Formats: sequence, structure tokens, C-alpha cells
Amino acid sequence: MTKTRALLLAVLPLLTVIAAPTAHADGNVRCDAGPRDTWRPLAELRKKAWMEGWTVQKTQIEGDCYEVYGRTESGQAIEAFFHPVTLKKLVVFRRGKEIFRAPGFSG
Amino acid sequence: MTGRFTRPLFWLALALPALLMLADFLRGAVLAMDLLHPSGEMAVRLMIAAMLAGPLAGVFGPNRFFRGWLAVRRNLGVAAFGYAMLHLAFYGVDMGLLAAIVDELELPSIWTGWLALAAMAVPAALSRDRAMIALGRRRWKAAQRLVYPALLLALAHWLLLDWQWQAAAAHLVPLALAWLALLIVRFNHRPSQRSHVP
Repeated sequence: MTKTRALLLAVLPLLTVIAAPTAHADGNVRCDAGPRDTWRPLAELRKKAWMEGWTVQKTQIEGDCYEVYGRTESGQAIEAFFHPVTLKKLVVFRRGKEIFRAPGFSG
Repeated sequence: MTGRFTRPLFWLALALPALLMLADFLRGAVLAMDLLHPSGEMAVRLMIAAMLAGPLAGVFGPNRFFRGWLAVRRNLGVAAFGYAMLHLAFYGVDMGLLAAIVDELELPSIWTGWLALAAMAVPAALSRDRAMIALGRRRWKAAQRLVYPALLLALAHWLLLDWQWQAAAAHLVPLALAWLALLIVRFNHRPSQRSHVP
């Protein structure tokens, strides 16, 4: 094996580390929300989360779902997914642990 | 690492992502929670960069490139711990209250992170020549091997938070391949049984 080839082989694993995909929290949730022009405004989502008694830190679109990062009334950090059209609460995670799932929701 | 300017420049390069994260946070462009992923990933990536040097040098021999890599291995490890502490700092800022942090300790995704940090702290604290002399090379090396459980715990922490095994596994694969290559090389170069027969 030439020195150059050895060096290339050595660098490959390092490049794999550097280029490894960046993770997105719970990005696998699917809401089957349809076209975006039918989605409710994010302001309504924030109001919905507030009505749950949560303090909202951040809202965003994740895949075809609305996602809320916030704190519950008892101070627990949560990450919740809502349907963008119906604004129905679908699933809630606490640090990766599922603590709520709407009956019948399997997305 | 030699050179009057090389070492500070290398440390600056290692610190640059942290400085950018802090700058973004301080000017209000991102929340502390937005920096949990980048700081944690940097810690894992630097840890793996430090851990790859040994097995790869074993496979390809101690040429100039690997001698250089081995010479900065400790710097990479200490930087990895620095990013883990930054990750903890962002977590603390995000949580705000100590009671909220304590409340989360029971979650597997959280206590794996704390244990990973504890396991990293030992080799990081001993990453000095004086510690090596005081402990003796053998015990010092044994303490450094705590990076392996630290890495596994850090990846478990990541996996339990995200449930995206591909990203966590992609970080483990290079190290597994490097160790596999080293085992193959050692197996092929082991002295033949027959050569010992008089």
C-alpha cells in the first residue's frame, strides 16, 4: 500500500465523522397535513399551546407538522407536535420520552 | 505539538465553533436550546477524532501524519470535554432552575448524558504529563480508556433524545471500522505458531 493511499484511507473515517448528518429531534413524526395553504397560522398554534397552560419557547414547522417547544405548568421541558390544519395535539415528548399520544394517531 | 504559534492556532481552531455558538447566543440570534445539538455533536465528534488516532496509527504505521495526529490527541480529548461542558452550560441556561434539572435526572435520556460527562471528566482531568508521571503509564492509560464508556453513554444519550439511530450510528461507524482494521492487521501479522516449534 502506498503512503498516499494509506493516508487517504486514514482520513476517510475522520471525514465520515465530520460529514455525519446532523440530527433533528423527533423528526420522524408525520401529520399528513396536506398543502400548506390550508394550514392555520402559527399565531393560532401559540394560542393553542398557551391554552394548554404551557410557556412557549419556540414554534416551528417540522416536516409536515407544527412543533412547539415549551414548558408545562409544572416546569417540565416538552416538545409537542400539532396537526397544522386542525391544530389537534398529536404527540408530546419529554426529553425523547413520549408522554402523550392522541388516540388513533400513529404518525 | 511543536512551534510557537502552532499550538495557540490549533487551540483557536478548536475553540472557533464554541466562540461562534456563544456569539450567536449572546446577540440573541438563537436560544440556548438551539445550541444543545451543535455543542453536543462537537463533543462527540472531537472525542471520536481523538479516539481514531490510536487504532489508525496502528494500522498504517507511525508516519508523519499519524505522529502529528497522535501528538494532538490529548488536545482533541480536552476540547471534547470543553464542548461537553458548554453543552451542559446551555442545558443549564435552558432549564433555568436547578429543581427542573434535578426533576429530569430520572429520565434515561438525561442520566446517560450526566454519566457520559462524568466518565469524560476523569481522562480530561488527567490529560497532563504530571498526571501521567504520578499515576504511572499503565494506570494513566487505564483511566484514559474511560473515553470508551463515555462515548457509548453519549451516543445512548443522543439516541434516547432523538430516536434517530442513523445519526448516532454514523458517528460510531468510523471508530468501529478503525478498530476492525487494526484487529485484521494484528491478526495477519501475528507470529505463526509453527515458527515457535524448534
